[in-house]
Amino acid sequence: MNLLPDFRFLRPTSLDDAVAALAEAPGCRPLAGGTDLLPNLRRGLGEPGALVDLGAVPGMDLIAVEGEQLVLGATARLEDVAASEQVRGRWPVLAEAAATVAGPTHRAAATVGGNLCQDTRCIFYNQSEWWRESNDWCLKHKGAVCHVVPKSDRCYAVYAGDLAPALMVLRAEVEIVGAGGSRRLPIAGLYHEEGRGYLTLAPGEILARVLVPAPAQGTRAGYAKNRVRDAVDFPLAGVAVALRREGDALAGLDVALTGVASAPLMVPGLEGLLGSPWNDQAAKAVGEAVRKGCNAVKSTLAPPKYRRRVASASAVRLAARLWEAYS
Amino acid sequence: MNALSPKNGRIGARTPLIDGIEKVTGKAKYTADLTAPDALVGAILRSPIPHGRILSVDSSAAEALEGVAAVCTGADCRVPFGVLPIAENEYPLAREKVRYVGDPVAAVAAVDAETAAKALRLIRVEYERLPAYFDARKAMKPGAVAIHDEKPNNVLREVHAEFGDAAAGFAAADLVREKTYRFAEVNHAHIEPNATLAEWDEARGWLTLHTTTQVPYYVHLKVAKCLELDEARVRVVKPFLGGGFGARTETLHFEIIAALLARKAKGTVRLLQTREETFLAHRGRPETEVKLTLGMTREGKLTACHLEAVQRGGAYAGYGIITILYTGALLHGIYDLPAIKHDGWRVYTNTPPCGAMRGHGTVDVRAAFEALMNEMAEELGLDPFAVRRASLIPTIPYTTAYAQKVMSYGLPECLDKVMKASGWAERRGRMPKGRGLGLACSHFVSGTSTPKHWTGEPHATVNLKLDFDGGLTVLTGAADIGQGSSTMAAQVVAEVLGVDWGRLRVVSADSALTPKDNGSYSSRVTYMVGNAALDAARNLREKLIAAAAKKLDAPPELIEVVGETYLVAGGQHPGLSFSEVAKAALIDTGTLTVKGTFTCPPEFMGDKRIRGSAIGATMGFCYAAQVVEASVDEVTGKVTAHKVWVAVDVGRALNPLAVEGQVQGGVWMGMGQALSEETRFHEGRPLHGNLLDYRVPTMAESPDIEVLIVESIDPNGPFGAKEASEGMLAGFLPALMDAVHEATGVRPTELPLTPDRMVELLDAREAQS
Repeated sequence: MNLLPDFRFLRPTSLDDAVAALAEAPGCRPLAGGTDLLPNLRRGLGEPGALVDLGAVPGMDLIAVEGEQLVLGATARLEDVAASEQVRGRWPVLAEAAATVAGPTHRAAATVGGNLCQDTRCIFYNQSEWWRESNDWCLKHKGAVCHVVPKSDRCYAVYAGDLAPALMVLRAEVEIVGAGGSRRLPIAGLYHEEGRGYLTLAPGEILARVLVPAPAQGTRAGYAKNRVRDAVDFPLAGVAVALRREGDALAGLDVALTGVASAPLMVPGLEGLLGSPWNDQAAKAVGEAVRKGCNAVKSTLAPPKYRRRVASASAVRLAARLWEAYS
Repeated sequence: MNALSPKNGRIGARTPLIDGIEKVTGKAKYTADLTAPDALVGAILRSPIPHGRILSVDSSAAEALEGVAAVCTGADCRVPFGVLPIAENEYPLAREKVRYVGDPVAAVAAVDAETAAKALRLIRVEYERLPAYFDARKAMKPGAVAIHDEKPNNVLREVHAEFGDAAAGFAAADLVREKTYRFAEVNHAHIEPNATLAEWDEARGWLTLHTTTQVPYYVHLKVAKCLELDEARVRVVKPFLGGGFGARTETLHFEIIAALLARKAKGTVRLLQTREETFLAHRGRPETEVKLTLGMTREGKLTACHLEAVQRGGAYAGYGIITILYTGALLHGIYDLPAIKHDGWRVYTNTPPCGAMRGHGTVDVRAAFEALMNEMAEELGLDPFAVRRASLIPTIPYTTAYAQKVMSYGLPECLDKVMKASGWAERRGRMPKGRGLGLACSHFVSGTSTPKHWTGEPHATVNLKLDFDGGLTVLTGAADIGQGSSTMAAQVVAEVLGVDWGRLRVVSADSALTPKDNGSYSSRVTYMVGNAALDAARNLREKLIAAAAKKLDAPPELIEVVGETYLVAGGQHPGLSFSEVAKAALIDTGTLTVKGTFTCPPEFMGDKRIRGSAIGATMGFCYAAQVVEASVDEVTGKVTAHKVWVAVDVGRALNPLAVEGQVQGGVWMGMGQALSEETRFHEGRPLHGNLLDYRVPTMAESPDIEVLIVESIDPNGPFGAKEASEGMLAGFLPALMDAVHEATGVRPTELPLTPDRMVELLDAREAQS
C-alpha cells in the first residue's frame, strides 16, 4: 500500500493541548518530522486514527544551554543539532551522531524526539503489507510468530536510532509530559529491550525535552556508526564511547550501543577498568563486554555475527582513539 | 570503408544534452506526470507463493464493488509473451500456474486508489503449492519439480562449445589455474519506477500507451499480440525516462496489464508500480557461479580458457538464452586467446525473472577472468599490465574464433594511458598498509548485428524533416533513456549539414510520428542510429546543394557550404543563406522529409556454421582498461574505492561530455555490484524491495572517476564512433578485487564484497597465519 490510511490531523499550539489531544483519541500518534512514522503508515504499519502534529507547539524545537546543561526540545531538527555551535562546542558527540542519521533531506525534517522514539526495525516488519501478509504477518504487527526467532514469545526488531547511545554516554535525561504532569528519567529508562514495547512511554505521554548535563571536565566522547553505506543506512552497530583520562589512568568510561538489540544499551561491567591505563587488557575487556552486550539476531540483512564483531572492534578502536587524543 | 572526418565542430564538442533543460528545471514529464484527469487507477494482485497451481480465481466480489471499472485475470489474455520469439512463456496475468512470489494473478481498474486496493482484497485465489527452488543447483537436481513443463530439468538452455583445442592449450601452458567465483544477483535500480498510461478509444478500437520502456517497438508488438489487436491500432510513446540499464529492454507484464485493463474498462488506466513492484519486475543480472580455468605461458600469454557458468535465471525465459550465450561470446574479442571451451547452464528458479542488464551476460565472467589473470600474474612474478600486453590481439582487422570482426582496437592505448595516469609503475607494490591498486580490462559490443526479430528492414531508420521555416526536425524511434541518443542524432545531423544548433529539434520514440527503431539496448544506438542519422543528413545535404546550384545557376559540384552559407566556388555571388536554400529546396516539392538508414553488412552477423554466433556479433567493440585504488578498514571490513582511472576506446567521442558521463555511470554501476548491491530472498520473497535494503551506492561512496578517452576511429562507426557505456562496467569488479589483494593479501571470490564478507576473509587469513 502506498496510500496513507485515513486519520484526523490535529495541530495543537501548546504542549498541554497536545497531551490532551493524545489522551482524547486512543491509539493516536504524535507526529514530528514524519520521516519514520509516515513511511511505516504508508506500508500499512498501523492505523492511528489521529496524528497529533507537534510542529506548532511553540519552543518545542529549542536548542539551548541553560546553566550548565544542554536542553533539546523534542522537535529540534537533527540538521540544526548537527550544525549548532553550542552543541558542537561542548557536546560534539551529539552533533556527530546527529550528522550520521540517514541523508541531508531526512535530517532537515527529522527531530530529536522522533529519532529517540524511532520504531524498531526488522526485515520481516519493514516490508509492504502484501509482503507481510504473504508471510503470515509477524509478532510485531498482526501476527503470532517472530520470524527471526520463531520459538520466541518476544519480538526481536532492532532499535536503530543514532542519538540515543550518544545521549546515554553523556548521561542525559528525558522529560516526559502526560496528563498527570511531567516526569524526568535517565534516558535508558525510556527504553525496554523488546521489539514491540520498546518505549516505556505510557499512552498519551509525550517525550518533551532532553536534558544533557555538562560532561565531567576533560571527558571526550565519540560515535562510531557502522553501516554498509555512509549515507542513508541505519546502523548495523552503532557505538558511543565517553572516556575520561587522568594521567595514565582511566577516570571514566561509558559505552553505549545501538542497532544490536531492541533498545539502545549501556554496556555494563566497565567500572573495573577505572584507575588503570588503557592497554591491551583493557581493550580486550571492552571488546568482550561489548560483544556480550549485543543482542543481535537475524533481524537485518547483515549477519548478526558481523554486527557483534564490528560493534566490539569499533568500540575498542574508538576508545583507543579517545584515550590517545589526550597525549 | 573509412569513417567520415568531422569538420564543422559539432562532433567532438562537449555538448549538454538537448533535453537537459527540461530535466534540470523539473519541466520534463515522465510517465507518471502525464495529465489524464479521467484516468482510472490500476493495481495488480500478485502471487503470495513462489510456485503453485492456480485452482481458482474468484473476482466476482471485486467486480461488484462500486467504483471498479474492470477486473482482469489470466482468462483475459491467452497469448504468452517473451522477448525472444523462441521462448515466449510468460503471461501478463498468470494462467494455471504461478512461478514466483509477485507473479501477477489479477488486476483491477477503479475510480481511485482506495477502491482499487479494496477490490484487490476481494479477489479470492486458491492455490495448490508446489515445491519451490531459489537456487540454481537445487532446481537442476534430478527429481526437481518442473517449473515449466517443457523443461523437466529446469534448464532453459545448456550451451557447450569449443573453439580451438582447449586441452592442447592447457598442455602448452606453464601455469594452469582453476577457480570458482560467485556473483550475487543485482538489479538496475533505475530511479523512475515502472509506470504505464493506457488509453483505450472504444469508438475506434485504438490503444495508446505511454510507458517506461527502452524498446517502444517491442512493446508495440507484444501488446498488440497479447490483446490480439491489429498493430495499426496501437500507438506507443516513450515519454522522458528515468533510466533503463536493461531493465526495460523487453515488454514487461505491467505494460500489457495496463492495456488489458484499459480495453476492458473502455477508458484510460494509469498503472503506477511501487518500488517493490519495480524490483519484482526485475530483469536484473542473474546470480552466477563461474568456474574458470585459464592456461598461461611463463611470459603471461594466455593459451586456453575453460568456462563453466551457471545462472539462476528466475521464473521465465525472458532474454535468458541470450544471456547464457553472452557468457561465452565475449570470451572472444578482447585478447588473442587460441582455445576457448564454454559450458553454460541457464536455470529456471522460483525467483523474479532475470534479463538484460548493462554488460548483458558478460560482466561476471569477465570479472572472474580478469581476477584469475591477476592472480596468475602474481604467481608468475609478472605485472598485471604485462600479462595483458602479452595477450593482445596481434593484428587488426582480426576475426575471432566466434566469427566476430575486430576492426578497431584501442586496448593497447587504454593500457598505456591508465598505467601512466594512475602512477602504476611507481605506486603499485608500494602502497601504504591497507591500501592497494588493481587493474582490469573489459569490452562490450556496439550493438548486435542480428536483430531478434528478423524483418529484412534496415537496422535503423532516421527521418529528417525540413520545412518552410528553415527548421530541421530529426525524427527517430530511438528511445532516449537518459543516455543522450537524441543529442547524438542532432549532433550528427548538425555536423553533416553545418547548421546552427538552434535549428534542430528532435522528436523521438512515438510510433505515430517517428520511424520504427529496435530500441535502446546492447549499445546499438550510437552506432546504428548514428549512422542512419548521418545518412539522412547526407541525403538532405545533397538536396540542398542541388537547390542552391539551381538558384545560383551553377553545377552542384561547384557549390561550397561554409557554415550556413552556400557559395559557388570561385564565384562573385555572396552566397545564399540556409533559409534561402531551404525555401529554394521546397519549390515544387513542399516540405522535405528525407530518410537515412543503416544496415549491418552480413559479414558482421556471425557465422551460420557456429551455433550461437549471432549473439555477440557486432561491428565494433568498445574496450576499457581501469585502475582502481581502494582501501580496506580491517576493523569494520569496509572496502572503499578512492579513485578510478579508466581509459575507454569509444572509437570517436562524438560528445566527450556525454561519453564521460556514460563511462562514469558504467564504472559506478560496477562499483555497486562489487561493493554493496545484491538481491536477497526469504522463501522467495524479496528482502531487498526498497532502496534502503538494496544498497545502491550513494554520493558518499562515489570515488573520483577520471575518464581517459581513447579514439581508435572505427572504420564503420559514425565518424568512427563505437559504444561508450557498457564496456567499462565489468572491469571495476576485478580491478577492485586486485586492489583489495594488495591492501590485505586476500583474494575475494564472492561479490559484493560487503563488510561482513570482507571480515570473514580477514579472519580466514588470520587463522592461516
